Amino acid sequence: MKLLTWSHNRNPFIILIPISILLIISFLALYSISVHQNIAFYKSAFFRQLVFLVIGIIAMIAMYSLPLRLYHKYSILIYAVAVVSILIPYFMNNPTGANRWIYFGTVGVQPSEYAKWISIILLARYLSDRKKRMDKLSSFFIPIAIIAFPALIVFGQPDLGTATIMMAPIIAILYWVNARQYHLFLIIAPIISIITAFHTISFTIWAIVLTIVIILSEKKLWNGVVVFFGNIFLGLLAPVLWNVLQPYQQKRILTLFNPELDPLGAAYQIIQSQTAIGSGGLFGKGWMQGTQTHLKFLPVQESDFILSVIGEEFGFFTVLLVFIMYAFIIYKMLQFAYITREKFTSIILVGVATIFLAQIFVNSAMTVGLIPVKGLPLPFLSAGGSFLVSSFMMIGMVLNFASHWSD
Amino acid sequence: MLKTINDADLRRYFSLIILAFLVFGLLGVKFFQLQVAQHKKYKEKANINSIRIERLSAPRGSIFDRNGKTIVDNAPTYVLNVIPNQIDNLNSTFTIISNLLNIDTSVFNTNYRKNYRGYFSPVRIVKDLSLEQILLVEEHRLDIPGIEYDQIQERNYPGDINGAHFLGYVKEVDSRSIQNVDNPEQYRHGDLVGWQGLERVYEDKLKDKKGIEYKAVDAYGRTMGAFIQRDKIHPEPGEELRIAIDVDLQQYIENLLSGRRGCVIVGDPNTGEIISYVNSPTYPPDLFTGTTQPDTWNKILNDPDKPLLDRNAKGLYPPASTFKMIILAYLLENKLINPNRQIYCSGEYRYGNRTFGCWEETGHGGVNFDRSLIESCDVYFYQVIQDIPLKEWSKICSQFGFGSKTGIDLPSESRGVVPDKEYLDKLYGKRGWTSGVKLNLSIGQGETLVTPLQLFTYINLFYTHGKTYQPHFSLKTETNEVALPNISESTWRRLNRLLYRVVSDRKGTGKLADPKIDGLKVAGKTGTAENPHGEPHAWFIGFAEKDDQVRSFVVLLENAGHGGEEAAPITRQFLRFIYDSKLKEQADEVADLES
Repeated sequence: MKLLTWSHNRNPFIILIPISILLIISFLALYSISVHQNIAFYKSAFFRQLVFLVIGIIAMIAMYSLPLRLYHKYSILIYAVAVVSILIPYFMNNPTGANRWIYFGTVGVQPSEYAKWISIILLARYLSDRKKRMDKLSSFFIPIAIIAFPALIVFGQPDLGTATIMMAPIIAILYWVNARQYHLFLIIAPIISIITAFHTISFTIWAIVLTIVIILSEKKLWNGVVVFFGNIFLGLLAPVLWNVLQPYQQKRILTLFNPELDPLGAAYQIIQSQTAIGSGGLFGKGWMQGTQTHLKFLPVQESDFILSVIGEEFGFFTVLLVFIMYAFIIYKMLQFAYITREKFTSIILVGVATIFLAQIFVNSAMTVGLIPVKGLPLPFLSAGGSFLVSSFMMIGMVLNFASHWSD
Repeated sequence: MLKTINDADLRRYFSLIILAFLVFGLLGVKFFQLQVAQHKKYKEKANINSIRIERLSAPRGSIFDRNGKTIVDNAPTYVLNVIPNQIDNLNSTFTIISNLLNIDTSVFNTNYRKNYRGYFSPVRIVKDLSLEQILLVEEHRLDIPGIEYDQIQERNYPGDINGAHFLGYVKEVDSRSIQNVDNPEQYRHGDLVGWQGLERVYEDKLKDKKGIEYKAVDAYGRTMGAFIQRDKIHPEPGEELRIAIDVDLQQYIENLLSGRRGCVIVGDPNTGEIISYVNSPTYPPDLFTGTTQPDTWNKILNDPDKPLLDRNAKGLYPPASTFKMIILAYLLENKLINPNRQIYCSGEYRYGNRTFGCWEETGHGGVNFDRSLIESCDVYFYQVIQDIPLKEWSKICSQFGFGSKTGIDLPSESRGVVPDKEYLDKLYGKRGWTSGVKLNLSIGQGETLVTPLQLFTYINLFYTHGKTYQPHFSLKTETNEVALPNISESTWRRLNRLLYRVVSDRKGTGKLADPKIDGLKVAGKTGTAENPHGEPHAWFIGFAEKDDQVRSFVVLLENAGHGGEEAAPITRQFLRFIYDSKLKEQADEVADLES
């Protein structure tokens, strides 16, 4: 435990400092955006975000105040409520064609934002209640099902971005509860097999890696052979199945994973975002001076591309500050996960940390063109009511659970 | 205390922290690459992205007459624009406006097609609207979204003169017309360019110096305001042009010719300045700028009287008897004639087996050198031309400027035709003509064709004894002296005297041209040009002088009859207007009352 004490302030409230800094940057950027939007102040993203900030803080305090055992006791019930609520949009008449929102009059709530951490609570309960050792591949089935079930519903909404974020914690949590690394590898392997199958060299390299890992890890020869050929067969089958599809079906799938194929031009968005960020330089163009931002070259700048606005107006150093703040928050969450007393809370903290990390990575990588465009917001920076309140609720849980540490 | 104690593994804890830091490290590197390493590239890109260079216009130079009266200036006019992206149904919108303004939808459709520049750019569909019409449109603006009005500067003609043939007009440059613009690189789509007449010739002077404004534009190309980092370059208005035209005289002569086909040039023989330049029938100078309805257009285009034709510079006519001075000058210069020798005119002249008539069918009797011009006896010229080789005749005609351009400051003029041997060979074949054609040529008939403008220079030469300038409208421009026919002073003087007698002599063919004003001396020469289109064209060319004020003139009336009977009286009327001070005062009073 000595290792942990070198820097470690165990006061969980320290994470409110980076959050406050992020919020200040967020409101500066949102104000800058609102200035040129030429709409009534109370309709601006800045003002709306202020309102949601208040709601968010109240929600955070509520989550902090709830007794720990209530989370544990009602985890199944709230999971059920969450699953029902992400199904509700399918039955509402959505003009956009996307079944993501539940409308209460003019106010829309996006239930998937809450479902993503609610499912972690149930998973944590499942994994912590049973003293089951995660030494068999079959023991992965229920944990994966708990996460994948709501994720699939969200995927169908369709919201690939949020579904991806929902799935992200499963690997980290299984790793955290001492699942065998080889088993985790076996979960990921089929996905890599399918993706690399379309590129001969990649597939060859992947086959070699697969062989080495199996030889080193698999004790039973027969199992190793099945795993190897299973993956290779899957890889070889993928292009064949692909070619069976009609071109329009192929295109629909490709667009889902790579919106750049969309004629509305996601590539255009990436280019504009890169231009905004790149032209910002070290110190930025100055507050409210971003030409890309103010001339609306940047799409959805108050939510998905808020980091481009910050990059353009405040420059590299501020972006770096943003990343340091995020890194600090995630570092603290993982630290709390390590030192908290309960396995239940430890798992939830790892899950929350993974959700934040995945969310930050997918959004930031998207804005600089590292990965295809996914409509995902950045915690505490992007405008968006459901998302901000949800983020604050997760922080409320973190503060709550981190207060129960072991010595 | 829940069921299970946290038993997290320290190694796995560190692994996750390292993973998280790797993620942020990767992002940091990527942002560093964009914002620091490639900053310059993206900065330039951002600039190009968001700046649009807009050209600013200033008013085109105005045109004033010799007395400083405005002939052409600029006036704001209301136009209607359509913004394509804001329109759902173009046709129904056009129908609504059409009913409101009582303008045919075809006008809108034509303009829309012509002016369309992009989905977000306003397209002008109609111009020259009155304030009332704009108000009417504004009242109904809820029914017609995507329609907005605007004000533009347009050429305006405050005076009452037409003068369209020399003023010309301006045109908006478009993809088709740019090919006929002199310095196409200086123009952009929508700029005004002088297209005809003085507007074209003095384009460099009249046109404004464009300014540049850097506008910030958004991702859709919509203007968001000025781009602050780059200074605006202000446009400069075009220079003013002062021309020799006298609008009062111009207007007077236009009215005089109203209803007739013909043309008049009045000018100053000493300088070559053109003071009046009238074509009839004519058309209003804003015909090409205004909202001309298609049927008006068709009427003008199909009018058999050809109102669009600039008769002065491009109409080709036989010069008839106005040409006779050329032969007389040649005879005197080459001492080919005894001026006192009489030639008998019986009213006709036999040459070979052909008979050539004199215009005076009863004959002039004995005609000497002087009487031949005063009474314009054709027989005299049938006789004397036989001593002049065709080649010599063609040469001296050319020396007087016929067969070549006068060099007037208009975009185009005709050369006319001075027949020579090659020309006739080509026309009729080598053996197709005889020396008999010379007889027709001697009286300005036959194959010779001249423009009234050429006759203007020609008559100026007589007044100035060979020292006149190329005709011109501009008051300032230095123009070239006309290349001199090599004629002695005594010849000039003698012919000059004769020209005065054409008007003052009891038997002079031009006597009807004299307004009989004290101190005013009028000289001239009549012409009656036979032509295949009916009645002969009536010519009267000459000059008048009182005190120091000299005016030379050319009058042509198509198919009107005899020059002395038709063209000379017209001359008398405008000479009276020019030289009768009482008449002028009256006209000024009328003008004052009207204004």
